Amino acid sequence: MIWKRQIPILIVTVVGWITILGWYIDEPTIQGFVNDDATQWFDILASFAIILGALNLIKLQVQKILYQKPGWIYSIVAVSGFVFSIVAGFFIKGVEDSVAKWGAHVTTDGTLFKWMFDYMFSPLSATMFSLLAFFVASASYRAFRIRNFEATLLLVSGIIIMVGRVPIGSVISSWFIMYLIVLSAGIYVNIWKKDMTVTFIFVAVGISIVTISGFVMGWPIDQPGIFYLPAIQEWIYYYPNVAGARSIMIGIGLGIFATSIRYVLGIERSYIGE
Amino acid sequence: MKDKQFWLANLVIIIVFLVYWMAGQPYFFVDRIVMLVAMFAMGSTLIYNVRFAKQGGEFYLRPIPGLKAVEEAVGRSTEMGRPILYVPGIQDMDQVETVAGVIVLGHVAKMTARYETSLNVPVSRSIVMKAAREACRESYMLEGRPDMFNEDMVHYLTDDQFAYAAGVNGIMVREKPAACMYMGKFYAESLILAETGNSIGAIQIAGTASQAQIPFFVTACDYTLIGEEFFAASAYLSKKPELIGGVRGQDMIKVAIIVVIILSTIIMTMYENFGIGFNVIELLTVR
Repeated sequence: MIWKRQIPILIVTVVGWITILGWYIDEPTIQGFVNDDATQWFDILASFAIILGALNLIKLQVQKILYQKPGWIYSIVAVSGFVFSIVAGFFIKGVEDSVAKWGAHVTTDGTLFKWMFDYMFSPLSATMFSLLAFFVASASYRAFRIRNFEATLLLVSGIIIMVGRVPIGSVISSWFIMYLIVLSAGIYVNIWKKDMTVTFIFVAVGISIVTISGFVMGWPIDQPGIFYLPAIQEWIYYYPNVAGARSIMIGIGLGIFATSIRYVLGIERSYIGE
Repeated sequence: MKDKQFWLANLVIIIVFLVYWMAGQPYFFVDRIVMLVAMFAMGSTLIYNVRFAKQGGEFYLRPIPGLKAVEEAVGRSTEMGRPILYVPGIQDMDQVETVAGVIVLGHVAKMTARYETSLNVPVSRSIVMKAAREACRESYMLEGRPDMFNEDMVHYLTDDQFAYAAGVNGIMVREKPAACMYMGKFYAESLILAETGNSIGAIQIAGTASQAQIPFFVTACDYTLIGEEFFAASAYLSKKPELIGGVRGQDMIKVAIIVVIILSTIIMTMYENFGIGFNVIELLTVR
């Protein structure tokens, strides 16, 4: 039991404290451990552990094929890919030694491994990545549906950011936006009062004020700044957005700190199954 | 304030450090003193609350819908006779989020053992596979259902980001799990996974501290644990006093940070506009 409980906790505690306090100690050996050695140790362990993962993968896929479980046909593709990668990586280079030596062949053009990487792996990865475009569209559609006040706010902010960041946004006059606001406000006034006369007066007064102001100021495209889309999007992006993001970051930082402290003090022991 | 042992220990540490400081602070990065003091204060607050909770102190914990929904999701899967898919992120155990994800997995595994629901955990790192297996094994043992534990419920797919996303999507589309949980560190694959889960009608719960992925999860999932909520999940689900005490400690630190931000803003405004006081940013900047 000592090997499964106390020793792992001891290792976590000792290494954890060295790593935390090492940040404050001006000594090359400790600095070297904190900045390089500790992470390299992890990389070495992870490299060995990959064998476990590969064995597990191949075991499950072969079992699927042997017992013809649902979807076993896909497992043939997985196993074939696995075998092909090993053959291309370790046994068949596809070029002479003078062109590429073993090891360098994985990055040399013309080798079997590089061919596999360029013409099979990369396009498949790119395909998965490009799916994101469609998923972003469907997710945005759901997010932007007007259901409540927050969703409306999101929709309006999203439109301002999108339009304000493209070239056409800078040619939309702030006066046009003001007219748009007056008309939108008119819709709300109509819903609220349900009186066409009141709505008409509101819209007429609003349009008159905007028009008179426009003539007085000479219709500058970017004035008043608070109605100019590139200026509004910049304000949304750099102020409310950054404030929200930073508050989340503070929470995340605290969460990481608290979790780390729980680990190095041995309070949290779930990682060894307790 | 009644924890004399705690205050005594703190006092001893402070005295030892002061002696060390007066002795010329050998091997110490003097520039990082503010950070050390902040770390000590935050660590002490956490430990104080943990000890307070252990000694029987009671706290109110704000209910987090996402964590309540975990049990609901397991129940739903049981009723539908379909598995639960748990994705512990795409990074290794050197990331705190992955560690938190594995911890939450342990709690989820307890529930699946209790409700006799099947659990599927595809992972993208071998070390995560081993850690997740151990967490699940222990959970099934603790629930008295070692017979239900199957090593292959936690299985490795691939280290590659999009190949992993393709593999998990394949599992979703073929097995149609009733609940999908994404708890860990995610990158661009987050939306691919969450949208596919949405398309199969699964109840989806996500938890991550990857800031750029939070909006995607909020959009595509039913519940999302944002940042600190995700790290507090273990305390909420285990209901262990020492872990709940830590959550209270975090909240106290947060209040302190808010006060520091407000005070710093005032001090900096006074300094820049009237030349009164000192440059607080210079003091607080970590070097």
